Amino acid sequence: MPTRALVTTYREDSRLFADLWHKIAWVLGGVILLAWPWVVSARWLTIGVQTLTAVVGSVALMILTGFAGQVSLGHAAFLAVGAYTAAIVGHALHMPFWLAMPLAGLAAAAVGLCVGPFALRLRGLYLALVTLGLIFIVAHLLLSFPDVTGGVSGLSVPMHTWFSAPEGTSSLGAMTHTGSVAGVEIRFSTKLYYLYLVLAIGVCLMGVNIRRSHSGRAMMAVRDSDLAAEALGVDPARTKILAFGISSFLAGVAGAMYAFEQQYITVEPPFDLHMSVQYIAMIVIGGIGTIFGAVAGAITLVMVSPLVETVTAGLPLLSELTSAQRSTLVFSLLVCGFLIFEPLGLLGIYLRIKRYFLTWPFRY
Amino acid sequence: MSTFLQLAFSGLALGTTYALVALGFVVVYRASQVFNFALGELLTAGSFLMVGLCTAGWPWPAALLGAMTGTGLLGAGIERLVLRPLIGRPVFVTIIVTIFIGMILRSIVLLVCGADPVGMPTPWDPTAAVEVGPARVLVSSLVALGAGAITLGSFWWMILRTRLGVAMRATSSNQETALALGIPVGRIFATTWFVAGAVAALAGIFLSMFPRNLDANLGFVALRAFPAVIVGGLDSIGGAVVAGLGLGLLEVLCQGYVNEHLGALGHNFHAVFPYLVMIGFLVVRPYGLFGTREVERV
Repeated sequence: MPTRALVTTYREDSRLFADLWHKIAWVLGGVILLAWPWVVSARWLTIGVQTLTAVVGSVALMILTGFAGQVSLGHAAFLAVGAYTAAIVGHALHMPFWLAMPLAGLAAAAVGLCVGPFALRLRGLYLALVTLGLIFIVAHLLLSFPDVTGGVSGLSVPMHTWFSAPEGTSSLGAMTHTGSVAGVEIRFSTKLYYLYLVLAIGVCLMGVNIRRSHSGRAMMAVRDSDLAAEALGVDPARTKILAFGISSFLAGVAGAMYAFEQQYITVEPPFDLHMSVQYIAMIVIGGIGTIFGAVAGAITLVMVSPLVETVTAGLPLLSELTSAQRSTLVFSLLVCGFLIFEPLGLLGIYLRIKRYFLTWPFRY
Repeated sequence: MSTFLQLAFSGLALGTTYALVALGFVVVYRASQVFNFALGELLTAGSFLMVGLCTAGWPWPAALLGAMTGTGLLGAGIERLVLRPLIGRPVFVTIIVTIFIGMILRSIVLLVCGADPVGMPTPWDPTAAVEVGPARVLVSSLVALGAGAITLGSFWWMILRTRLGVAMRATSSNQETALALGIPVGRIFATTWFVAGAVAALAGIFLSMFPRNLDANLGFVALRAFPAVIVGGLDSIGGAVVAGLGLGLLEVLCQGYVNEHLGALGHNFHAVFPYLVMIGFLVVRPYGLFGTREVERV
């Protein structure tokens, strides 16, 4: 099925932007994203921040599940490790957020590298069950040390701009303070939005670059058949562990982003099976196997949830459920529908529309 | 000694329900290599159906059979509508789809039955207990043991002695050959889902009796039966039963004897313990105690 002009050279195949339309889409998207905080209400700005967090998290899961084909139900555990690391180093060492985030990623990556070796012996279902166990074990460990993690009652997350004095007064003010540049007030959520925007775009570019580089292609070879990949000289063990490492690092960063946005975290909810399942829903709805899918799925799940909640609130029977349960129901139905009828997700729908216009006036 | 006996009996009763749930997983997996993550929600739905039928005035045994049949039909319906079109797709698609079917079922249960806990009606006094040696054992636990034994026994007989059982074994050993020999493989898949739903309903009914009660979160117990399935071997029915009983016993004994010695780590340690056992098994013997070893050929 022709969905783009015929690719004839290797260079053309591995280009970052496939054609002019991709560049136009990036510019248009960039303009919308930059203008977002100034045109929408405070509620939608918060939703925008949450979407950017979800984009980072779903790109992380896409690298593991979509590229390398390793099913993980333990994504929430990696986010939990990242979130708690960010909170703890903020409290104990008064560490600024720009150091806490990579540290959170490294802590989660350490956990990921412990789980990775399981993937060498186990595949598919068995791996899903091990990662499911990981959620329970991480939650149990986090609840077992209330002195450090706050236990059931949770932990506040300080966001220092620089190393602050022990009393919590940082030299340049905490991130949470409202600043002003040239008379324009810049609120905490606006600052957070731009910070996360940079992070999300960086992570997406990283994902795209992994996909078009040899490590990404090795992952996809392992996903499609690890025996065949090994016969072709790809080292499946190295590839799987690499996928686990990158994915859990990014998941840890997403966890830290989540923690800084919420400013107060507890173990479960939110870091339970339900969160893992939501991330799986994102990559399935968006379309397994591409970064476009991860981004589209994250945007759909987070942005459309408030819409779904308001629309279904009017329906007679559904109004008995809480708003979160309503959107869970709608998205579960969506995921089942996509899996049965459009395995490629939103990407598949986009490709179909594109093909219609490419081959017009013929129906292919 | 009396404490031990008491713990052993409640452990075995819990283990029976784990064994039933594990049986539900294994039956479906053997036939169609689908791991049914929605089983926990089928279990909840079956228990609520039981409560509904009892409230509607059905006699208790009839309500029990009705709830099992109803849940079985629900399972078979899910197989026909959702899983059948997915035959031949990668493993992870079926994993994801059953997880989300579970979430849909859970929403429907919440919608129809509400979030408040209800007690499971029993024909005997729910708090009644009998003396077995030095221990006092709840009647409900003894009935659970008995009903579990009867169900597992009759399932065993069906697998070994009936036409349907032979067809199920043939399907699990090779689908294409079975199809070529005229066995209606699709209908066998539906039957396995029926069996899984029925035994899950039975397990749920006994699980929600005194001292526990029934709410929409009962299905999470299926998450605790996963380790039993893995330890026993994913494709071994006997293994599921043995490991289910063993893990139930181990969980209760761990709660009674080990938790207090672990200090801060001990709180709720028994809930994590089966998973540690499972991960240990996956490292050493991924195919479980009685499962078939997977051989890979290039």
